[in-house]
Amino acid sequence: MQEVERYRKRAIVQHWLIVLCSLLLAITGLFLFVHWFGPAAWGGTSRIVHRVAAVGFVAVPVLYMILNPKSSLEWIKEAFTWGKADLGWVKSAPTYYFGFDIIPMPPQERSNTGQKMWMVVVIMMGIVLVVSGGIMWFGKGVVSTGVFQWSVFAHDAAFVIAGAMFIVHVALGAFHPRFSEALRSMITGKVSVHYAKDHHGKWYDRISGGKAE
Amino acid sequence: MADKAILFDATKCTACRGCQVACKSWNEREAVQTTCQGTVENPPDLSTQTWLKMEFREVGNNGDLRWLFTRRSCMHCKEAGCVKVCPTGALFYHPSGFVSYDKHKCSGCGYCSQFCPFNVPRLNTNRVTGKGVMDKCTACTTSGLDRIDNGFQPACVKTCPTGALTYGDRQELVATGRDRVQQLIVQGHTNAYLYGEKEVGGTHVLYVLDDSPSVYGIVENPEVPVAATAWQDILKPIGYAAAGLAALGLLLNVMVARAKLLSKEKGGK
Repeated sequence: MQEVERYRKRAIVQHWLIVLCSLLLAITGLFLFVHWFGPAAWGGTSRIVHRVAAVGFVAVPVLYMILNPKSSLEWIKEAFTWGKADLGWVKSAPTYYFGFDIIPMPPQERSNTGQKMWMVVVIMMGIVLVVSGGIMWFGKGVVSTGVFQWSVFAHDAAFVIAGAMFIVHVALGAFHPRFSEALRSMITGKVSVHYAKDHHGKWYDRISGGKAE
Repeated sequence: MADKAILFDATKCTACRGCQVACKSWNEREAVQTTCQGTVENPPDLSTQTWLKMEFREVGNNGDLRWLFTRRSCMHCKEAGCVKVCPTGALFYHPSGFVSYDKHKCSGCGYCSQFCPFNVPRLNTNRVTGKGVMDKCTACTTSGLDRIDNGFQPACVKTCPTGALTYGDRQELVATGRDRVQQLIVQGHTNAYLYGEKEVGGTHVLYVLDDSPSVYGIVENPEVPVAATAWQDILKPIGYAAAGLAALGLLLNVMVARAKLLSKEKGGK
């Protein structure tokens, strides 16, 4: 089976390190979000775990960006580049994702519209979470209570948005039959040529130099 | 247990600070090392060790000087911002209506200190690790040191020699307070006011004041912050609904897609 490289090793390592930090942050955060989980936060150890994970959550992407400025910038640019193919995706997606091919899915770039939506959420909510979290960590008693109060609100609102999209991300990436190679590609870094053509036609054309078909 | 309350009559207070000492004694709080700030008011502020302190104010009054004394401690709100935002159940309503606290359940998050309209809860947390716990007046309802449950008055009330502090059923104390305010108005204190009767849903510490609250350095129109309501009563339900809908919707989606694509594959073969 012919394969093409989709993710570099360092990108894969970064991805799973962020997953580790995010899960630790989400779980220890939920101890304070969900009242039933409150007892898990008694004594405050979970809050220390939250802060250690928060350092990783900031350090991993920042280090990655310093070491790989070009590809990082491309990735950010990609997240905010929207065009005609995205409109086609929106029209096709509702049926396409239920397994029908009523409206053909237009060829997508390296990341399709749904993936770009997730990227935008990760970037934007990541910033909101880091800024509001920083205020909650270092600003208590320094900033006004009003600023602190709305930082807590913003922190939880960003978590709700990112959390809901995270569920979508996991469901599609790991369990959805359309994306049979998505999870594998985030481990091995490769997808089959067939999968690349099928899901990311524009990208495949670009990297294969238009040789495809 | 009927709703209990403490009534503080500022006009009867001599600022002997017996209440401060009795509070520390009963609640096993340490004395705080302080330096002279040019006032007899001491210690300078509430802390995890100081749950109650008297504030001293010199107020000019038509060429006259008045020396006013204000009780600074938890107001024990009926609709307490701290209880609303406490994530771990460490802050809770005692059957007496007082806002009680179990430090073993505290995570040290400090939301209570940031959502209290009276700036009462204090923390001694480490700035880097965040480790530490909150402390505040519980109106002597701390588990193991619960005077109220055992039929006693709070320590501060018990020790008050002038009758500035009284303890009893809230309803009765509201009536007493109203009478006293009427009396003060008749005596010429036209701004006399019973503070806490209606503030934040009614507080379990009531103040008889012979002037408006601002003169005594007390928050006028305290409110549970809007952010607390927006966060607890709006954002959280939305959060649960969003997570639930996303999970259910996607489960359905993946199942349908799986069945559909499987049948397509079979049909193709």
